[in-house]
Amino acid sequence: MKNKLLYIEDDKEISAWVSEDLTRRGYHVTCLTTGDRAPNHMEGIDLVILDIMLPGLDGFSIGQRLKKEYPVTPILMLSARTSIDDKLQGLHFADDYVTKPFHPDELAARVEVLLRRFGKMSPPLIQLSHLRIYLDQNHIVDTRSKKEIVLTPKQFQIFTYLLRHPNKILTKEQIYEAVWENPYIAGDKTLMVHIRHLCEKIEENPSQPQIIETIRGIGYRVKQ
Amino acid sequence: MRFRHSLLARYLLIIMVALILWPFVLPAYYIPSYFLDKDVQQKAQYIDTNKLKQMWHHEAAKLDRATPEQIDQKLHTLKDQYPLASMFWVDGAGKTKLVLSKQKNIPSQWTLENSIEFMNQSDGDPITFVSYIGRDQSNGFMVFQIPPSVTKLPTLSFIDDKFLAIYGFLVFGLFLFVSWLFFFKIRKRLVHLQTAMTETKENGIPEKIVVDKKDEISELGKAFNYMVDELIKSRQHEQEEEALRKQLIANISHDLRTPLTTIRGHAYSLQKEPLSSKGKDSLHLIENKVDLLSHLLENLLSYTLLSARKYTLQRKETDIIRFIRESMAGWYPVFEKEGFKVDVNLPEKAMIWNIDPQWFMRILDNLYQNVMRHAKSGRYVGVRIVDYEGKTAILIEDRGPGLDVTTDKKGAGIGLSIVSLMLQEMQLGWTITSSPKGTEIYLYEKK
Repeated sequence: MKNKLLYIEDDKEISAWVSEDLTRRGYHVTCLTTGDRAPNHMEGIDLVILDIMLPGLDGFSIGQRLKKEYPVTPILMLSARTSIDDKLQGLHFADDYVTKPFHPDELAARVEVLLRRFGKMSPPLIQLSHLRIYLDQNHIVDTRSKKEIVLTPKQFQIFTYLLRHPNKILTKEQIYEAVWENPYIAGDKTLMVHIRHLCEKIEENPSQPQIIETIRGIGYRVKQ
Repeated sequence: MRFRHSLLARYLLIIMVALILWPFVLPAYYIPSYFLDKDVQQKAQYIDTNKLKQMWHHEAAKLDRATPEQIDQKLHTLKDQYPLASMFWVDGAGKTKLVLSKQKNIPSQWTLENSIEFMNQSDGDPITFVSYIGRDQSNGFMVFQIPPSVTKLPTLSFIDDKFLAIYGFLVFGLFLFVSWLFFFKIRKRLVHLQTAMTETKENGIPEKIVVDKKDEISELGKAFNYMVDELIKSRQHEQEEEALRKQLIANISHDLRTPLTTIRGHAYSLQKEPLSSKGKDSLHLIENKVDLLSHLLENLLSYTLLSARKYTLQRKETDIIRFIRESMAGWYPVFEKEGFKVDVNLPEKAMIWNIDPQWFMRILDNLYQNVMRHAKSGRYVGVRIVDYEGKTAILIEDRGPGLDVTTDKKGAGIGLSIVSLMLQEMQLGWTITSSPKGTEIYLYEKK
């Protein structure tokens, strides 16, 4: 099933090629040139792409209104304005922010990440190297041996957190705070121990991990 | 301002009242005792000796041809009137008749010798008046004597008269108090004015003061209120202008970025079309220039806002290690794509700096951007915590051609100017060492 996007942009040229590009990438795109009637089009929408400078109601007001009514629909702000004030104001309600002139690949990547983060695009399974992961069933199968890999709850939480942010480097503070829901204390080794055990279970060769990539000095990344 | 409302007028009034009242101060002290104290009235009648003398002669003259009984009676009456005086009379034969005196040395029979002796004895003390009774000397004479002490004016002496001393102090004190009150009130109002001028509201403008009088200080207050009004007006004007400028900048940004977005979009679409290698090169160039333009635009706007102090600095205690790590996590894919070796070496310990995270993010972004643009040839970026001249510093290094080398990619200047301005505002220091082998940038806290 195609994900439905609502795209509000007043510049017809940009609107035309962005919606064309996103359609080619497999999304169903609804385009609006003003935000005044946006609430009428929210039925079944999975994500809103919103320009800030719009005729009539500006993007901030529309975004805030939409977020209030549809809190689980991610909003991606698209703007030609870049001052820090704008970013702060926008991010109060927006879930991500892309500045013009953006690269279509970047926009598409952010849309995908947001959809995944909000569970709008829960792929029934992820095929990653020799692993087949059923995210919603907490089920991981090694395709070579056809055996199930059993993870502890924490290991599974860490792994899914990385999978939900594909291609993004996550620092150990971010992972720890997302999984344990406590502030990370500098020097804590708990997370590293968990990741080591996780790698031992899922990696073919735990000393040279292929699935969970360690970025030295920064954090971890799962490439998809 | 009218003169009668002025402080000057009030002060002159105080002085005038003091000067006018001063001559009445002593009389005011004595008048009540004169009227209330009979004794004083009694004493007062002895002070004018001439008057006494006239009275005595007058009384004597009236007794012409009076019988000795009448003279006795008269003397008794006078004695009642002047109790402090001694009186006696002598008949024509030189015989002392009625003596209303405690004096012992009055001869009973007057001869020439004792008359002279009596006169010698009473020379000035006691003061003695002698009058012939009636018109005829043969009727005898009558004598009136008073001690000289009662004829003297009472002396003004604070030592003798304690009440006078207290009275003096009271009068003097009253004058001092009124003067003090006058200046105290002025001082209080001036201090109040000073407080009002120095204490400002959140907008940085002092509050207006209440003016309820019409004197010089109130005039000053009115002038101050006028100034506050002017300040508010100019602040409003400034805010309007600022809003206008911000709007203008935002509009320029929007107006320039929108076509850039379209250019990039179409360049991207072109990539999907079959192109010659020359065409692909041109396309690549277009994309690079779009990037460069958008960065330049961003930096230009940031610099304008920053140098006009339009960004608000919100410093808070931040773990800088964690911050650098998260910033690098965002940049890693960009460096990775260009084939950079990213060498991040950060301690496990937290390091707290008092910074504005948004600003610091911007600083790191600009520095990484510079590495990307000017040090691509080195294919290396390193971030470490090092000791720099005794301070803990963040070191960002690359192995590019160094900052002195002029490349075709201009625009580093403004990016670094932004870094410099932002660091300065956050009281952070920085040092750049650049050589053809690479550039090292140290960021540290100013102590």
